[in-house]
Amino acid sequence: MARFLAGRLLRAFITLFLVVTFAFVVLRLSGDPAQIIMGADAPHEAVAAFRQAWGLDKSLWEQYLGYVGSIFTGDLGRSMRDGRPAAALVAERIPATLALTIPALFLKLGLGIPAGIYAALHRNSAIDRVVMLVAVAGFTIPSFVLGLLLVLVFAVQLGWLPSGGQESWRHAILPVITLGIGGAAVLARFTRSAMLEVLGQPYIRTASAKGVPWRRVVSGHAAPNAAIPTVTIIGFMFGSLIAGAVVVESVFSWPGVGRLMVVAVANRDLAVVQCVLLLVSFTMVAANFTVDLLYGLIDPRLRTGAQGGH
Amino acid sequence: MPMLSRRTMLATPAIALATPAFAQADNRPSITIAVQKVVNTNTLEVLREQSNVGERAFKTSIWEGLIDRDWRGQLQAVPGLATAWRRISDRVVELDLREGVRFHNGDEMTAEDVVFTFGPERMFGGAGTKELPPEIPAIARRIWPSLEKVEAVGRYKVRFINGTPDVTIEGRISRLGSEIISRRGYEQAASWLDWARAPVTTGAYKVAELRPDVSLTLVAHDQYWGGRPPLKQIRFVEVPEVSSRINGLLSGQYQFACDIPPDQIAAVERNRAFEVQGGTILNHRLTCFYKNHPVLADARVRRAMTHSIDRNAIVEALWAGRTVVPKGLQWEYYGDMFLSDWSVPAFDLAEARRLLREANYRGEPIPYRLLNNYYTNQTPTAQVLVEMWRAAGLNVQIEMKENWSQIFDNSSVRGVRDWSNSAPFNDPVSSLVNQHGPAGEQQQVGEWTNAEFNTLSGVLTTSTDHEQRRRTFRRMLEIAEREDPAYTVLHQNATFTAKRRDIAWKAAPAFAMDFRPGNYGA
Repeated sequence: MARFLAGRLLRAFITLFLVVTFAFVVLRLSGDPAQIIMGADAPHEAVAAFRQAWGLDKSLWEQYLGYVGSIFTGDLGRSMRDGRPAAALVAERIPATLALTIPALFLKLGLGIPAGIYAALHRNSAIDRVVMLVAVAGFTIPSFVLGLLLVLVFAVQLGWLPSGGQESWRHAILPVITLGIGGAAVLARFTRSAMLEVLGQPYIRTASAKGVPWRRVVSGHAAPNAAIPTVTIIGFMFGSLIAGAVVVESVFSWPGVGRLMVVAVANRDLAVVQCVLLLVSFTMVAANFTVDLLYGLIDPRLRTGAQGGH
Repeated sequence: MPMLSRRTMLATPAIALATPAFAQADNRPSITIAVQKVVNTNTLEVLREQSNVGERAFKTSIWEGLIDRDWRGQLQAVPGLATAWRRISDRVVELDLREGVRFHNGDEMTAEDVVFTFGPERMFGGAGTKELPPEIPAIARRIWPSLEKVEAVGRYKVRFINGTPDVTIEGRISRLGSEIISRRGYEQAASWLDWARAPVTTGAYKVAELRPDVSLTLVAHDQYWGGRPPLKQIRFVEVPEVSSRINGLLSGQYQFACDIPPDQIAAVERNRAFEVQGGTILNHRLTCFYKNHPVLADARVRRAMTHSIDRNAIVEALWAGRTVVPKGLQWEYYGDMFLSDWSVPAFDLAEARRLLREANYRGEPIPYRLLNNYYTNQTPTAQVLVEMWRAAGLNVQIEMKENWSQIFDNSSVRGVRDWSNSAPFNDPVSSLVNQHGPAGEQQQVGEWTNAEFNTLSGVLTTSTDHEQRRRTFRRMLEIAEREDPAYTVLHQNATFTAKRRDIAWKAAPAFAMDFRPGNYGA
């Protein structure tokens, strides 16, 4: 187990290192933050002074080594736009993002998994077809289209809900629904497929033939065996809790991490971008790590390394 | 006689205290304005935030200068925090300060504050309590290249003393960056950043909260010298998507929605409860030429490009006729420096083809570095331009870029690019010299230079002979727009603000939004 953990941790560390390096190189080679932040009309002297003040006049290597060195000392740098610590800027946006993504995750789980199981248990029925039609629609409609559609109906036409902003819990309803519907559709499709595959297995027929009640066959044999692909998708959803709402935050003017990242990338505000990327990568890595552990819990064969045969 | 219970007796003082407060309840409305961007730099300091979006959020509301503009008219110079001004010499301007002006912290504005505003500690860098960001002195020096000092001549009188003769001192006093601050307010701020995020000034509204990239909340400054502000609170919220701004307006969440593209005006006004205001502003859209490009080095090719453009077609097709083709890089508010008989190069395809034949142009590609709608209608305009140039025989190829750094990148050959020029004050020095002269952006990035133009820039800046200045300005326009084109003007820029029709408010011919007494609810 210790070897398993050490391997996973090493892989996570390498992933984080690559993300930081890649982001640094791409951002620094695709634009001069001084010119971008100061604007096209800024005096030449002002741009030069800005560059010098933030060390942008040093070689790329010097900047990179300085940046990596400061990360190891716990200093994630400051925003070049207003001098505030990048970590503080990101930290103050996290609650806003989680206020959307966590309820949306519950919505995805609460809608997607039951719908997928129900559709699988009623395969080829009218309900199955309706569920899959809705799921395909939810899966294929881009979130910005769905968001604007919901705003048009519930904010502009009916006047029931606000169209954007973050002033109250009512402002979160439409963005949460927008985020939730797409994810629920994905989960419903995966859950249905996994369930259908499991329901066709000989051990399900055996359990039924033994006289096990159908409800117990589904809950005790089918659902746990269908869980692995579903858990993988849920793991991805956990991983995107921090950065999975970029588009929705823009459509609904929701001041979360996603919008911060968009603005920071546009301005080449390196410290802020790197800080967000570190956080996002860390969340992804942690989610994947947790999923790996869950696999072991769900499927004893993975825990013991034994290969099952059918 | 009614009996008073112990509970009633205890409650009486509370009721008594609450009554006056109730009597003085603030019934003024609060408004929310949806904008694409509140400020670019996350600060409200005019010496840092020299942008159009910044002007909208804080000019007239927070920041005020000694000489103001007629925001409800044609932007002529009008008394602001100074009631009168006069020339003492070609280097000195004297101003009488308005008495009884109160800063947001309650202090009265005096000559001491004015002197401090233009002093080294706040503007140019020098011994002081705060470390200025390095770009501040550079920006201040561009605004005031030759300012020697500002001196107090009395409690309510100051003199601006320039190092060289300059007829534009009054213009520079009126421009963005020359607004007055409270000395005590500046000194009491814990750091420059704290100051820059909540400056203490004289405007009708003061900063309640700035949430970077999210919102700016202003509240009424009831001691405002111009009367009680009509609004209790103004909230600018950042809504990056056009459709979200419009939807928010239509659903009643916002009272104003800014940065409405021309093609959305009809959609908004289909609902009779709403209207779109605004129009041309002090900003022209240009195409700039890179003179060192092997083909563009020949002025005839650049001239051909200027003659290939049907500017009126662009205005009609992309702006629904709601802007104009101006008379070159100048504005009527230049007053007697405005050259009314000047015009942009005529749309003349035959002339363009003739020039290209003379220049022996053989269809060599000319790169056009383009940002994706940094300016309103930028990308469609570029596509139209490329087709217009193609009609004349020019092979211009669009290269999409993400930021200004990529636009100015020297690692490959440049050709043409987009730009816009403003006129921060009412003189050609503010645009033609500041943007295209020897210290201007276009020459600084190595795009274009012209020896005669540079000599004339010095003359236009320092001469006090009006006729000589007019002649010089005309000659400079001839060089930069006709003989050796540095740029060509496409059209005047315009900005549109959607609002509820029942709100009485008039848009200024500028980005600035005026919510002072007399322009809201009047």
